[in-house]
Amino acid sequence: MMDGTLALGVEAVGCAAFDAGIKGAFGYPGTPSTEGFEFVEAMIRAEPEGRVAQWAANEKVAYDLALGVSYAGHRTLVTMKHVGLNVALDAYANSALTGVRGGLVLLVADDPGMHSSQNEQDSRRLAEFAWLPCLEPSTVQECYDFTLRSFELSEALGVPVMVRLVTRLAHCRAALTRQPTLAPAGLGVVPRERVQDWVLIPSNARHRYVELLAKQPRMLQELRAMNTLVAGTGRRGVVVAGMGRAYFQQLTLEHPALAALPRLEIAAYPVDPALEAAFLMGVDEAFVFEEDYPVLEARLGLRGTCQVHGRLDGTIPRTGELTPRQLKEALALETEAGKAPSSLDLPVRAPRFCDGCGHLDAFEALQEALKNLGHAEARVFGDIGCYTLAAQEPLSALHAVVEMGASISMAVGAALADQTPAVAVIGDSTFGHSGLPALLTAVDAGANITVLILDNRVVGMTGQQPSQALDQVERMVLGLGVPEAQVQVLAPLPKQHMVNVRAVEEALRHPGPSVLVFRRECIQSLRRGVLKAHDREEKARLEQACCTPEVQP
Amino acid sequence: MSEPRVHGIVLCGVGGQGVLSLAQIVLEALRRTGLYTLQSEIHGMSQRGGSVHAQVCYAEVPLSSPIIDEGSAELLIALEPLEALRYVAMLRVNGHLVVSEEPQLDMDGYPPLADVYGALKAVRGAQLVDTEDLARRLHHRQAGGMVLLGLASTFLPVPNSTWREVIAQRFEPKGSLITKRNLEAFEAGRGLAPAKTEA
Repeated sequence: MMDGTLALGVEAVGCAAFDAGIKGAFGYPGTPSTEGFEFVEAMIRAEPEGRVAQWAANEKVAYDLALGVSYAGHRTLVTMKHVGLNVALDAYANSALTGVRGGLVLLVADDPGMHSSQNEQDSRRLAEFAWLPCLEPSTVQECYDFTLRSFELSEALGVPVMVRLVTRLAHCRAALTRQPTLAPAGLGVVPRERVQDWVLIPSNARHRYVELLAKQPRMLQELRAMNTLVAGTGRRGVVVAGMGRAYFQQLTLEHPALAALPRLEIAAYPVDPALEAAFLMGVDEAFVFEEDYPVLEARLGLRGTCQVHGRLDGTIPRTGELTPRQLKEALALETEAGKAPSSLDLPVRAPRFCDGCGHLDAFEALQEALKNLGHAEARVFGDIGCYTLAAQEPLSALHAVVEMGASISMAVGAALADQTPAVAVIGDSTFGHSGLPALLTAVDAGANITVLILDNRVVGMTGQQPSQALDQVERMVLGLGVPEAQVQVLAPLPKQHMVNVRAVEEALRHPGPSVLVFRRECIQSLRRGVLKAHDREEKARLEQACCTPEVQP
Repeated sequence: MSEPRVHGIVLCGVGGQGVLSLAQIVLEALRRTGLYTLQSEIHGMSQRGGSVHAQVCYAEVPLSSPIIDEGSAELLIALEPLEALRYVAMLRVNGHLVVSEEPQLDMDGYPPLADVYGALKAVRGAQLVDTEDLARRLHHRQAGGMVLLGLASTFLPVPNSTWREVIAQRFEPKGSLITKRNLEAFEAGRGLAPAKTEA
């Protein structure tokens, strides 16, 4: 049906999950993972048949939702970006001990080169940390095939399986050949006699940890066929994984002599040490081409049997994306001399706020209020989203951006350390993701903080997915215990500027937690009509409600 | 015997100009011509008015690397003149550059336009297109991308009928008028190609 249609790498993972018969798909948006969920969501919307796709408030919630589906006996997919797995790590690491019932596949998209992220951590390390298998495709078709295989592995081994992509593959578009779609077929809930496996009280957990370690040899055995030792000529070899495998494969087209090098092709972790040893026996020198951290390189280097070249010895830069050019240079292949680069000085075209974005009005109000109160030099704690752009010139309105939800907690910490004023700026979706517990603590501590929640009603930066806190932010804030007098909803519009400045000033003067919700829909989602149907229904509901006499308590 | 050639195309512009849509049309047209294709694109924060680029590779054999090495692309399609200059070094010595003259000036430190045009004209094989003027003449404000694609298409091994088919399908959901206008813009671009010296 869809054979030969074009899909991104992440989309191929979503598509395979659908075809593998998943009951539920979950995730939290984050570049470059977002389209994986969106693809499977669209497929489920077109053919629901009892399947569900649900964005979660954060990655941990998404992972736990998937684990619940697995417990109920069904296959399930959960998607996130690499730093999202930090948020879900508690769930991920402990699900290694519970194991799974229905197959559970975790799609993680790493971002080496930090195209859209705050770090370039390597998820393979987290799979290793959790004693869990990780499959690493190198082409769009492999994204699909490996995901199908991951569901089988997950059920065969009784553990969650990670499919690890990097930006280049996640956003590589190519033709895809599909397998027939399986209908969701449940195995039934965890049977009574296995329930203790899922109750991780220490007495059970000790037992489960022993069992997880006992599964390791079986993992190596199941994964062995995915890692290949290719015999060659000479004592110089290569180890290739992920995009390193893809780039090397293509180089052999242009330089057929490369195909004769002894090589170890890695597509699944953990790697059998016997396979590594067999490869190392045949070479005196090995080049390791892997994306992101020097995971394989470090393992091979520790054996000390041959010279290992990669990121650790400087053959390849220690940071940033792997490129085909780096492979060519490492292997001393000729590189093409193309046209001369432009001699003109080319200033960077940085991303910027969209014209007419409400975030700009909110920042202008904040900066003016701070100035009016003599706090022009105040440090403001920021968070993750489009509004992070305010950290750049000319606004320079944010002075710390670390990870999702950090703005509020860091402001509380700073306030407790006597920083005045202590201001946090966070988006509505990020607030729902991990700002809520931070604000609960702020109230408990009575911290003197001012929080600006920039509510654009969507998850703006990742493509305007509807926010789970849609039009509920102020009620959440009140529910957490912020006094009603210290909660205001404002419209970030130029004509409201003076009203907004006064409101921020008042909040800054108040000695305790105060929250200002700046609400105006993202102009991109407004243009696309993302919330049009929702708003129409909401309006009809309100009109209906005001005509129906309410019963007074 | 020569090794199979991998052909590379780079498309660039500013977030919101439609670089990625254009890349998808190129990809689909090459694929329908029976070639193996791959496309690489960068989404996310770069879409907020920053520099955006995509790469399309094609060959007569299966490909695995979505990235083109510096100095090896055959064609650069640039929707913005300053952005074009960032990627000139991606082109092989005899590569072609098809570039819009229409600047997107909303950034700090945009060099004098005359310098930008001068630098582009110094690139051998560069064809600067006054997309603004063509859009006006076609009564189609957003014609630029399709005009550039039309001209660029003359450097690619795709039959005109395939291009028309892919473009028509792409714009079909937006109605017949928009489809017709985009096809017109594409043809106008094809018309800009210098007459071939050999058949």
